[in-house]
Amino acid sequence: MGLDYQLVLWNKYKKTYDKIIALSMLLYVMVFAGVTFAFNSETSIETLVIRAFGSLAIIMLHLILIIGPLSRLNRRFLPILYNRRHLGVSMFIAAFIHGGFSMFQFHALGDVNPIYSIFTSNMDYGSLTNFPFQVLGFLALLILFVMASTSHDFFLGNLSAKVWKRLHMMVYVAYALIIAHVFLGAFQQETSFFTIGVLAIGFIIVTSLHLITAFKERKIDRTKVSEKDGWLEVCNISEIEEDRAKIFTVDNERVAIFKYDGKLSAIHNVCKHQGGPLGEGKIIDGCITCPWHGYQYLPSNGQSPPPFTEKVATYELKLDGEMVFINPKAFEEGTEVNPCKI
Amino acid sequence: MEIAINVFLGILGVYFLVGLLVGIIFLLKAKKFDPLMADTKKKVRFLLFPGVIATWPFLIGKLFKSKTV
Ligand code: HEM
Ligand code: FES
Repeated sequence: MGLDYQLVLWNKYKKTYDKIIALSMLLYVMVFAGVTFAFNSETSIETLVIRAFGSLAIIMLHLILIIGPLSRLNRRFLPILYNRRHLGVSMFIAAFIHGGFSMFQFHALGDVNPIYSIFTSNMDYGSLTNFPFQVLGFLALLILFVMASTSHDFFLGNLSAKVWKRLHMMVYVAYALIIAHVFLGAFQQETSFFTIGVLAIGFIIVTSLHLITAFKERKIDRTKVSEKDGWLEVCNISEIEEDRAKIFTVDNERVAIFKYDGKLSAIHNVCKHQGGPLGEGKIIDGCITCPWHGYQYLPSNGQSPPPFTEKVATYELKLDGEMVFINPKAFEEGTEVNPCKI
Repeated sequence: MEIAINVFLGILGVYFLVGLLVGIIFLLKAKKFDPLMADTKKKVRFLLFPGVIATWPFLIGKLFKSKTV
C-alpha cells in the first residue's frame, strides 16, 4: 500500500505491543532461571540459556499459530494478529539464541565445522531413541530464518504474494520438525515433564482451534441463500452490526456486506494485500479496514483512498422490507456502486 | 548417509554464498531490484539484507530485466 518502504510500519499500538513482547520474553527468561536455580543449582549457565530460550521459542510459536484461528473466532484477539509479524521475528531471535548456544556448547569446540558437526556427530539416523534430534532443530531454524527475514512488505511484493504465502505456510513444517526435535531430544537429554506436557497440550490446542475455524468457514460456504429474480436473499438487516460486515458466499465468491451511516455496501471479501478477510474488519474513518494489516477500501467503490491504488470488486444490493438482497454478479474491481439506503 | 549429508550441506553452503553475493549487490543497487527502493531510507536495505540472502533465486530475475531500464 505504501509508496516507499519504511523500516517498520510503526504506530503507537505497535510500539506498545513490541514493548510487551520484549518485557514478557525477559520476564520469562528470568523466571525460568530463578526456578531452575531453585531446584537444580548445578545447572550451568549455557544449559540454562539453551533451555530457557528453547522453551520460550516454542511457547511463542504456539501463540503465533493460535492467533489466526482465535481472532477469527473472537475479534478481541485482532490487535495481536496485527502484531504477529513482530512476534514471529522475536520468536526467531529466541530460537536463534537457543540454537546458537547449543552449537557453541556441543559443536564449536572440535575441529569440524559446527554445522557439519550437528549432522555427523551422531550418525544414528535409523534409531528412534538416539536419533540426531539436533538436525531437526537446525532444519526448523532454517525455515524460521527464511520466514523472519522476509517478514517485510518488500518481500511480499517482490516475491509475489503466492510465493510469500507458500514460504510462510512452511511454519507448519517447522512446527512439526520442532515437535520431533523436542520429543526425540527428550530421550537423550533430561527434558522436563513440564516441557513435554506444555508441548502436548499446545499441540492439542493448536490442532483443535484450526479444526474449529475450518468448520466455521465451511458453514459460511454452505449457508443457503434463496434466489428471487436473479437476486439472492442473504439476511435480515438486523443481523449486521453497525460498522461491521457479514460474510456470504455468492457465486462461489466470498462477499462482505457492510452496514455504516444508515447505508449498506458489498465488496469482495479478499484483501489485495495478502488475502485478509475484509468482512472481519470494521469501518474506520469511513473506510473498510482489513483486520490483518490495515489496508483500507472505500465501501462504495472498493478502492483504496488516494494515493493508494488497490481495488476490489463491488456488488449491488437492494432491500425488500427488512431483507437484504445481493446481485451475485460482481462488478469490475473499483466500480462505484450507490450504497443501499436503509 | 555421509554422502547425502555432504551433498545437502554443500548445496546449502553454495546457496548462501551466492545469496551473500546477491545481498551485497542489493545493498549497493537496491533500486534495480525494486524502483520503490529509490525513495526508501538506506537503513531499510540492511533490514532486508538477510531476506535477500534467503530468497535470492526469486529476486535475481528483476536484476536482469531492469538492466534495460
Ligand atoms: C540449530 C538448531 C538447534 C539446535 C542445535 C538445537 C539443540 C538443542 C539441544 C542440544 C537441546 C537439548 C537441551 C537440553 O535439554 O540440555 C534442545 C532442546 C530443545 N529445543 Fe532445540 N535446537 C535447535 C533448534 C530449535 C528450534 C528452532 C526450536 C524451537 C523453536 C527448539 C526448541 C527446543 C526445545 C523446546 C527444547 C527442549 C528444551 C528443554 O529441554 O527444556 N530448538 N535443542
Ligand atoms: S491482508 Fe494485509 S492488509 Fe489485508
